[in-house]
Amino acid sequence: MAHGGMTGLPVMKGVAYLPASQVSGGRDMWSEPLAVPPEDRQSAVWDLLHEVLDPEIPISLVDLGLIYDLGLVDRHVKVRLTFTATACPCMAFIREDIEDRLLRESWIDRVEIEEVWDPPWTNDRISERGREALRRLGVGVSG
Amino acid sequence: MSGGTVETAADLPPEAREALRRLVIALADAKRLMGIRYSDWLLGAPSIETGIAASSMAQDEWGHARLLYAMLKAFDMDPVQVEHERPSDEYCSPDALDRPFEDWAEVVAGCVVIDGAISACLRSFAGGSYEPARSRVPKMLAEEEFHWDMAAAWYHRLANASEEARTLLRDATLEMLPSTLAWMAPDDSAANVLSDAGLTDSPGAIRSSFEAVVGPVLAELEVDLSTAEARSEGWDASRGRGPGGPDDDAIERARGDRNRMLFVE
Repeated sequence: MAHGGMTGLPVMKGVAYLPASQVSGGRDMWSEPLAVPPEDRQSAVWDLLHEVLDPEIPISLVDLGLIYDLGLVDRHVKVRLTFTATACPCMAFIREDIEDRLLRESWIDRVEIEEVWDPPWTNDRISERGREALRRLGVGVSG
Repeated sequence: MSGGTVETAADLPPEAREALRRLVIALADAKRLMGIRYSDWLLGAPSIETGIAASSMAQDEWGHARLLYAMLKAFDMDPVQVEHERPSDEYCSPDALDRPFEDWAEVVAGCVVIDGAISACLRSFAGGSYEPARSRVPKMLAEEEFHWDMAAAWYHRLANASEEARTLLRDATLEMLPSTLAWMAPDDSAANVLSDAGLTDSPGAIRSSFEAVVGPVLAELEVDLSTAEARSEGWDASRGRGPGGPDDDAIERARGDRNRMLFVE
């Protein structure tokens, strides 16, 4: 599940984590669609998902550890997604934000989201980058 | 339990499939009703913090119900119909959730006894061979750990408070136990079919699991779980519970009757 800035996509180092976005998923800070389809589309999808912020905590879904895996066949992306809680009130927002971000790209036609619960999400899944961002926001993370 | 994994209910023989369907509905209904009973105490709990805890627990229970109702698709059932259109006498929730909790002692007893029983069933289900349960239920059990912490703490607190508190809590516990034991570990063929198929533990093992967790807490009020008897008069084998069903108000809320015209899913 290696991913990250190898695709020419604008990497949002730090920017995404400024609590400036007032729009669901941080979509006011999403990058412009790529003019040319990337060579490494798998990594590009991970980078795109790095731009999608959790609706309640302004860090990306990837850094929050909610994206368990993704697959790409032709122009069809399949995202394996979990949630922090079984009754997360933002489930619909998160799904919509993922779909909207990915479908902005001309090289993606279809997004399929599979809801998964195995392994159960815990704080341990938050990346070090996510923890650092949360610390800057005054939120400590145990584990 | 026997080895091997059951990927889908369609792989099961008819009798085991039907028993599994009953179990899934029973657990889903239990979660839905448990959430409703907790939600009654968002206001009126002994402290603001406790009311917030009740709110969080209600939210968890409804999340669990959602996942469990969704599992009914594997039985060619429509989860929306099951959730929003059934009458009370088709619910498979524990009898002890048929009416609201009257006071905080009943809430605490319910959290220990009924929620504890539901969790014992879930532990057994998660450890069985049915893959959809193995992959979904552990998250529910992780969330239930917080319910249990609150339940055990409050039970201890009330058990060591006034004599009146002890009496209320003990009475509530003894009232809930017999029917809840019958619901949790039914002495019927469906329960045995499930364990024979490796989908759950045996009813006896489920009860032992319940006793190991809940027994030490109830012992504070000299309630001996090892000798507590299940009550199964009027047993309805099709639902895995006693006769009757939840009160009208709870059913209307569970189904979302008031906002039916605004329903979107």
